[in-house]
Amino acid sequence: MSEQDMQVGNWPSRRQFLGSSAAAMAGGYALLSPRYIKALAAATMPQAGEFGELDASDPAGIDLVIDRKRLLVDGRAAGAISLNGSFPGPVIRMKEGKQALIRVHNRMSESTSVHWHGMLVPFNMDGVPGISFAGIAPGQSFTYRFPVRQNGTYWYHSHTGLQEQLGLYGQLRIEPAEADPVAYDVQYPLVLSDWTYENPQEVLKKLKTIEGYYNFQRPTVANVDEQMKMTGDSLGEVIKKRLMWQRMRMDPTDIADITGATYTYLMNGRSAKENWTALAQPGQRVRLRIVNASTMTYFDVRIPGLPMTVVQADGQNIQPVQTDELRIAVAETYDVIVSLPDEKPRTLFAETMDRSGYVRGTLATAAGQSAPIPKRRMRPMLTMQDMGMMPMKEMDHAMPDMGAMPQEHHASPEVDRGGELPTRNLPQRIMHGPDHHGPQSITMAMSAYRQLDDPGIGLGKDGWRVLTYGQLRCLRTPANRRPPTRQFDLHLTGNMHKYVWGFDGKKFSESDMIRFAFGERLRINMINDTMMSHPIHLHGMFMDLYAGEDYSANPRKHTVNVQPAELLTVDITADEPGQWAFHCHLLYHMEMGMFRTVAVVRSLEGAPIRAIS
Amino acid sequence: MPFHKWVIVPAAAWALAATWAAGQMTMPMPNTTTRPMHGESEAMDHSAPSPTAVPPLPEGMTLEQVLDRAAQTPPKDFPHAIHDDRPYAFTRIEQLEYRAPDRGQEALGWRAKGWIGYDLDKFWWKSEGQAAFVGKGEGESENDLLYARLITPFWYAQLGAQYANDWKDGQYSDRWSGVLAIEGTAPYMFDVDASLYLSDRADLTAKIETTYDLRLTQRLVLQPRAEVRLAAQDVPQRNLGAGLNQTDLELRLRYEFKREFAPYIGVRYSFKTGKTADLAERAGSESEQTYFVAGVRLAF
Repeated sequence: MSEQDMQVGNWPSRRQFLGSSAAAMAGGYALLSPRYIKALAAATMPQAGEFGELDASDPAGIDLVIDRKRLLVDGRAAGAISLNGSFPGPVIRMKEGKQALIRVHNRMSESTSVHWHGMLVPFNMDGVPGISFAGIAPGQSFTYRFPVRQNGTYWYHSHTGLQEQLGLYGQLRIEPAEADPVAYDVQYPLVLSDWTYENPQEVLKKLKTIEGYYNFQRPTVANVDEQMKMTGDSLGEVIKKRLMWQRMRMDPTDIADITGATYTYLMNGRSAKENWTALAQPGQRVRLRIVNASTMTYFDVRIPGLPMTVVQADGQNIQPVQTDELRIAVAETYDVIVSLPDEKPRTLFAETMDRSGYVRGTLATAAGQSAPIPKRRMRPMLTMQDMGMMPMKEMDHAMPDMGAMPQEHHASPEVDRGGELPTRNLPQRIMHGPDHHGPQSITMAMSAYRQLDDPGIGLGKDGWRVLTYGQLRCLRTPANRRPPTRQFDLHLTGNMHKYVWGFDGKKFSESDMIRFAFGERLRINMINDTMMSHPIHLHGMFMDLYAGEDYSANPRKHTVNVQPAELLTVDITADEPGQWAFHCHLLYHMEMGMFRTVAVVRSLEGAPIRAIS
Repeated sequence: MPFHKWVIVPAAAWALAATWAAGQMTMPMPNTTTRPMHGESEAMDHSAPSPTAVPPLPEGMTLEQVLDRAAQTPPKDFPHAIHDDRPYAFTRIEQLEYRAPDRGQEALGWRAKGWIGYDLDKFWWKSEGQAAFVGKGEGESENDLLYARLITPFWYAQLGAQYANDWKDGQYSDRWSGVLAIEGTAPYMFDVDASLYLSDRADLTAKIETTYDLRLTQRLVLQPRAEVRLAAQDVPQRNLGAGLNQTDLELRLRYEFKREFAPYIGVRYSFKTGKTADLAERAGSESEQTYFVAGVRLAF
């Protein structure tokens, strides 16, 4: 019997015990009510969100104990994976320039791992089973030891199966070796996540077998009226549009695969009802270190009535940008500075991209306060633009992709020997090539285009400012910012009907590793052929996001969000030898094949390296 | 940790030296730093324009060892990084219903299909039929077992065998057929299943069925369904005439308490045409029937 089974088994037996003792009492019926049981459970069961801080730069190191545990999530008993007794795990502090020493102990009956998301580490310390190491077997320990070469806000999580869904994640906070350019008085972690009481493998099976299982915001006869109001379209136009989507066998409301229908959204392990609260005095500069540790959920974060100054993205300091709302893709981090102008509490509001749910907390001067919760907005709908259908007027300006960009990276990588690629005025729009990527890809962006100034679906029309990628400018130009000498296109593909995801129509298990030559500077043009946004994460090395005209100011990111039909370019310095994971950070997309191994090797030439033995 | 320095320091020194050497030669020195021991002159022409400092490496490994390891498939004792090629199994009982005809016997009707397998390759099974509740035993069933291959994003090609039987008045007959089918979703979201059967008596018949889900609300769904059956020749044993021989038009209204559990009510209008209708009337059975149906749609 696995440990999980035992713990699951524990619960009914406790209930039985309750039942029998209650029956023995006079008037015991009242005690049998779920409310009583809930109250008793609440009294005896520890709560999610009880995490502290650990200093991994302490020469003695730190210990992380991973175990299955029953915890209260949103007041309800849940089978979670705990780190040192709760989830999220402790905030792990490190100091730039020092060694980090972390001993991870696996007390579960299944293998596990911890990956340091966004950290530059030797490849065997990266924590990806099957690539960096064999994983941490049940009952075993693994010691992570590496020099810390960066600073900022990052996070860590399991890279084994679907464990991340059950709570195996936490925040990393690395203090800079030099003076921090960001001034603040108090700081708080803001770990956003999605929780389900279902078994994640069951969730996956539902996605795999019944399309749209969790989508309860589909177009229906009953919401035609609503759509007319939302879009201003006439009845005829609404019907015409719906028929167009039906003809393509697509659903314009397919914004999130997993929704509030099963998810409870959490902020630092606490639900909206539990109202996690950050305390600060008026005038204090509060640094919120926001991490989206969700498996599948994009959040739109805002503090009604309070502007936020974004100072860091993916752990990298940026030129401060003041904004009112930001969309945080899965696995991204943003640090923002906010300040209470008065004694009034403010709501920290994180609404899901598909509007099927939200989580909130409060920024207040004292515990127990709260502010009004904003009304949720109407769920957005995809448009033909998201399908890569081009507006006619732009047709003439589109560039065919054949000349500027080699079509297929996996055929034979085209090496542009010696020639430096341009760093500005990159094509704004490219046409899709003739390859439809086979049965594992449904749609293709006929024309993919840059969306740097587009905050994303459902945003930008509320009358307030929303952060865009085009606004991100690094504070200091990182080393090695030189023009790349090689590029390839990478198509993000998927078959949402069969729930198969991949790159260039291929799953991980069908793929060869992507070769980077050690020391080279290369460019990847990502083209999103699907109708969903995908947060693409490269391990081991940063990606310089092409965000505008000034090449030296492009931000470094560990995770880039690629919107439907978007053409997004990143430049990478392949200076970390070894093998690295490169994948969509939507957990279920990744597990279903949207994943590659990048091999930083001596040369681009040589036999294909199979991704799995 | 001190051990680390033993790796980093020499490696960094060596990288610096290589950098310096590269500079001396006043030409772009791509991968030179990564392969000085090899002394291959042609290596100098390759890719990267500037040498790279060597970052911290795994303890106990040299750069050369790391680069060797990077060019290899992961060791055998490593698990797979992700699991995108596991088989799944699914059963959909589209209809499990009580059928009350305007004339004739009440019956239990069913229509179900399921699959087990991988994304591209699966085994499918399909079963449909009905059996009278009371009175004289009467019923029929068709059961297919197929290998399926996803040939386009929306369509499976299927190949396999069917076992069909019917029983009435104590008489039992059955047949085996070879099946070739395509199944998938057509534009405008019509689910289509079209099968061609070649029986053990060399009769060629076909069946085409299509359904459409009209969502009234998020959980209330109206599902029209149509099915036509054709024969390439007369099949006297089965009372079939050549051409279009039977059509079913159905309408079901279901409520999805869960996606996997949806009770429904509906109507089914079934009629025979052409020679088949004549044969039925001559044999004294109905050539058209209307059923009231009530049942449950299930999945697991």
